[in-house]
Amino acid sequence: MKTPPFLLFAALLFWGWLSDFLIVGASLGALLEISRVVKLRWELDDTDFNRIWSFCVLLNIVLVGYVFTNNDEGGINAMLHGNTASAAAKSTVLTAIRFLRWLPLTTFAFLLAQAFNARPSVPLTAVSLVLRWRRRQGDRAFAGRYVDLSYPYFFVCVFAAGIHTNTGARIYFFGQCLLLGWALWVNRSRRFGIVSWLLALAVALPLGVAGMTGFNRMQGVIQNFNAQWISYFIRQRTDPLQSLTSMGRIGQLKLSAKIVIRLEPHQPGDAPTYLREASYRNYAAQKMTWYAGGGLKEFQPLAAETDETTWNLLAGKKVSSRVNIACYLNGWSRELEEPEGLLPLPGGCARLENVPPYMVLKVNPNGAVLAAGRGFLMFDALSGRGATLDAPPDERSTNRYDLAVPPNEIPALQQVIAEMQLPADAGDAEKRRRAEKFFSEKFSYSTWQGAEKRVTTNASPLTKFLLTSRSGHCEFFASATVLLLRQLDIPARYAVGYSVHETRGSGFVVRERDAHAWCLAWNRATKTWEDFDTTPASWVAIESQRTAGEEWLADVRSWLAFQFAKFRWRQAQFQQYIFWSLIPVMLVLLYFIIFRRRGKLWSRKNKTSSAAIIWPGLDSEFYALEKKLAARGLPRQTGEPLADWLERALAEPGLQDLRSPLRELLRLHYAYRFDPSGLNVEKRQQLKNEAAALLGKISAASAARNVTPSKNNSAASR
Amino acid sequence: MTLLYKFIYWNYRATSGLWHWARRRFTRAGLCVAVALMVTGAIGADIENTESYQSFVLLLALLLFAFACSFRFSGKFSATRILPRVGTAGQPLPYRVVVKNLTPKIQAGLTLLDNLADPRPSFADWFGFQRAEGRRSRPFRFSSTRSKNPFRLANLSEAEIPPLPAKSDGEVRLELFPLRRGVLNFSGVTIARPDPLGLFRAFIKIPAPQKVLILPKRYALPDLTLPGAVRFQQGGVALATNVGSSEEFVALRDYRHGDPLRHIHWRSWAKTGKPIVKEYEDEFFVRHALVLDTFDDEPNSDVLEEAVSVAASFACTILTQESLLDLLFVGNQSYCFTAGRGLAHADQMLEILASVKNCADKKFETLEQLVLKHSTDVSGCICVLQRWDEARKSLVEKLKMLGVPLLLLVIVPRGEKPADTLETLHVLEVGKIEEGLAKLK
Repeated sequence: MKTPPFLLFAALLFWGWLSDFLIVGASLGALLEISRVVKLRWELDDTDFNRIWSFCVLLNIVLVGYVFTNNDEGGINAMLHGNTASAAAKSTVLTAIRFLRWLPLTTFAFLLAQAFNARPSVPLTAVSLVLRWRRRQGDRAFAGRYVDLSYPYFFVCVFAAGIHTNTGARIYFFGQCLLLGWALWVNRSRRFGIVSWLLALAVALPLGVAGMTGFNRMQGVIQNFNAQWISYFIRQRTDPLQSLTSMGRIGQLKLSAKIVIRLEPHQPGDAPTYLREASYRNYAAQKMTWYAGGGLKEFQPLAAETDETTWNLLAGKKVSSRVNIACYLNGWSRELEEPEGLLPLPGGCARLENVPPYMVLKVNPNGAVLAAGRGFLMFDALSGRGATLDAPPDERSTNRYDLAVPPNEIPALQQVIAEMQLPADAGDAEKRRRAEKFFSEKFSYSTWQGAEKRVTTNASPLTKFLLTSRSGHCEFFASATVLLLRQLDIPARYAVGYSVHETRGSGFVVRERDAHAWCLAWNRATKTWEDFDTTPASWVAIESQRTAGEEWLADVRSWLAFQFAKFRWRQAQFQQYIFWSLIPVMLVLLYFIIFRRRGKLWSRKNKTSSAAIIWPGLDSEFYALEKKLAARGLPRQTGEPLADWLERALAEPGLQDLRSPLRELLRLHYAYRFDPSGLNVEKRQQLKNEAAALLGKISAASAARNVTPSKNNSAASR
Repeated sequence: MTLLYKFIYWNYRATSGLWHWARRRFTRAGLCVAVALMVTGAIGADIENTESYQSFVLLLALLLFAFACSFRFSGKFSATRILPRVGTAGQPLPYRVVVKNLTPKIQAGLTLLDNLADPRPSFADWFGFQRAEGRRSRPFRFSSTRSKNPFRLANLSEAEIPPLPAKSDGEVRLELFPLRRGVLNFSGVTIARPDPLGLFRAFIKIPAPQKVLILPKRYALPDLTLPGAVRFQQGGVALATNVGSSEEFVALRDYRHGDPLRHIHWRSWAKTGKPIVKEYEDEFFVRHALVLDTFDDEPNSDVLEEAVSVAASFACTILTQESLLDLLFVGNQSYCFTAGRGLAHADQMLEILASVKNCADKKFETLEQLVLKHSTDVSGCICVLQRWDEARKSLVEKLKMLGVPLLLLVIVPRGEKPADTLETLHVLEVGKIEEGLAKLK
């Protein structure tokens, strides 16, 4: 089935229009339509089509690879790093969408070859690797079967035109109606008249419109229903606004050994103990969740220095240590349509250097730095003792968030304070010391969440932790400490981030299981926030005990992901050249695909010549005679039969005596060379002997001819 | 395991039935639309990033409308198929169908489709084939090719029916491409009418049961010097055209009981006083045995089919010469068919070969006994074997010991070779049979 004139042009134009490739689409369509006017044709055979198809497939694979590794969701980076399922799904969808959108372009070469081929169809074996392979195996079932790909390509163009964001417009629908109607009109049954056909279309199209409306509504319902369900699969990341604790959950808390941050201190002592991502102020006991106490509006944008890579967080602060941090940003900014996440920073961080350009950094009053722009970041964090990014406590305000304690936790806290036996005149330092001692002596670390920690109507998990179980993970300790300090009139905040303790080479690695929560306590003397961690130091050892045997494998994967992320997010310097490096690779491939045949022919010729030496008769002595006569000035022309050449040579008077024996020798030579039964031993010997004798005679004749003129010359000189 | 195979079998039945239905019911444009519907259905699930769902609903609407139109097709027809008696596997078989319009109005834009009886195998046959495939092919290896579907008997073409005026008939030329030998059963013909959009067809089925015998594929053989030669045998050829002795006088001898009276040489009896008879030279013809090995678990295996084809090629070639040919094989029982010299023609031999089935319930020794029994009657033996194992070697040894000249041909699957071989053994590889036969001398 061949498409009618201008149908493919219209389809490509439609695709180009809706995919923002209008000129490309129009040009491709015009090229195809030209084939109807121009009578010049290629004589492409099955092998040529195989090659062109291979090239198209290769182009598509390269395209998919490139799109997958470079799309906004991180593609293979997300996959290697084990990022959220949603990121991987989004990346796959993005790849598929771009791949499908470009399909008319990437398969165009094949259709162009068909359009300009003498036979306007392509071999079936070309489009299927399986069939091609079966044919090579000797299966002739599909040999000689050709297909016209005009209509499949038409469908590809029409559907590729629909691969774009659904805006709710009906242009695509009516455009495809027009094109499909055109195609159907050409292929309609002659049994029915125009009126019947139009009536049929008039019934089918409203059915389609109704279906489309119904589809939209149904999709809306499903999407709303599924919103929460899908969110279940999204990996937890640090939320700048709230922190949902695991307090009250039953069972073993499991965090993976995946490496999420790598640190490289510039000096051995520069490594921080904690990397803080965020801190929170309000505790909602019912939800067991900490809130930052403000929305995203609280985040104020920071301005980079003129070099675009340095960010001053605390201007004028003295810094004493510098550490290089590599981390991933796992979130997604809907506002910027870029990857986004909180930066893990050492306490007292004052300046960021070597931050990749075109980043957007924001900071909130709780000291959380939100970065957006790329999925992977490497930078230098410079920090020093003293001031932090956090706003001072709101002791004088009416809300007093940093001193607030949920009423239902107060009895337990008072009971604990009584147990601590604090002197009445104890200062902040003494209170902190007593609290630290209390937790270290009477509490233990555990990741097991037994039923005794489950929330009941009578007591919250935190109350049970403080009074009954006295065992829990860092969130219990941090939450309890914050509330205890607040109950003791010390402003405190709940901080989350990572603990840095595992060395790797000259640096450190931070795993997902190193995620930690601790307390920020306000030091009224120095007017600064200080890290205050009451979680028993044994937690690191306990977490490390759960190291799986195959952790090294996960580390290798993490390292690969890290290296790829460096490359992917342009932290490795050569990333920007990858696309350009693909072009010569593709050109070389194209060269090999298209011109490989020449190589094959050449090699075949070589094989032929090497095989030819075993043909019988090529060792005939007559060839020596031929050379001798050629040297005498009687060369044989290319393609001249030996018999003709010999007659021409024998016309020379000098060879008059040799005519008869030479003719007889030629007859013997022909018999030796071409007679299927060949020569017997005697005749073969005769050929050899006579050839040798004649060679001698010719040499003698040649010598005589050369001597005679020289004698004449000497006589003349005299 | 059997349950699993049954599940796969019913899946196969359902899938192949659905595919058969779709190929006949959809026009080419309809098939394109159906495939596009599936593709857009898959892509269109992402309603945010694509608008393919719009294509999906449009194509679905078109197909639903076309499907609805197929319910009403009023027309009355009769059809008569004019088929040749036999065809040959691998050779197109043209034939005609006369279609008569029984309605009082003109019928145009119709298509004729011929219907073969359902070729889908029973579970036992299908299971046998799967087991054989499992033995033959190694999993996860591309190098081991799967056999072609052995249950597909023929490819049928469809043809447009010329416009049929009221109460009149028209002739449609069709072509059948038989893929395998055997009996091909037609169940009827179908008249198809497309819907106004040209996507889906309405059917009227007319019963027209008929059979055609498909002969095995044959190969061209080179000029062969068949094993054995003309020789004198006691007893002569009872089945030759001129039964009995020739008129060539050889000698006189004493009368033996049973000698015909007309052979008595009266003069010698008078001289010697005892009955003397004239002895004539017996007339013999070259008589060959064509031994076909049918012992295979798998029905219609490639090797068996090729063995039958090779046997058919020999049957055709030998029977054009002045010789007799005994076809020996084992099916439900042991068979021996003799053809040549006016007994039976090559066609009849081919018809027998067309119906040869594999023998899975008997041992090779059955064939051995049959061959050895006939070995004294034949001047040479052509053995077409399916493998080269101890049982076959034993038969060959015994025939050699009996002094029967042999032409041994072993058919092997594609890419395989027997472990050990004889100088006189000709190995023919499936797919390269013709090349192998061309090397015969």
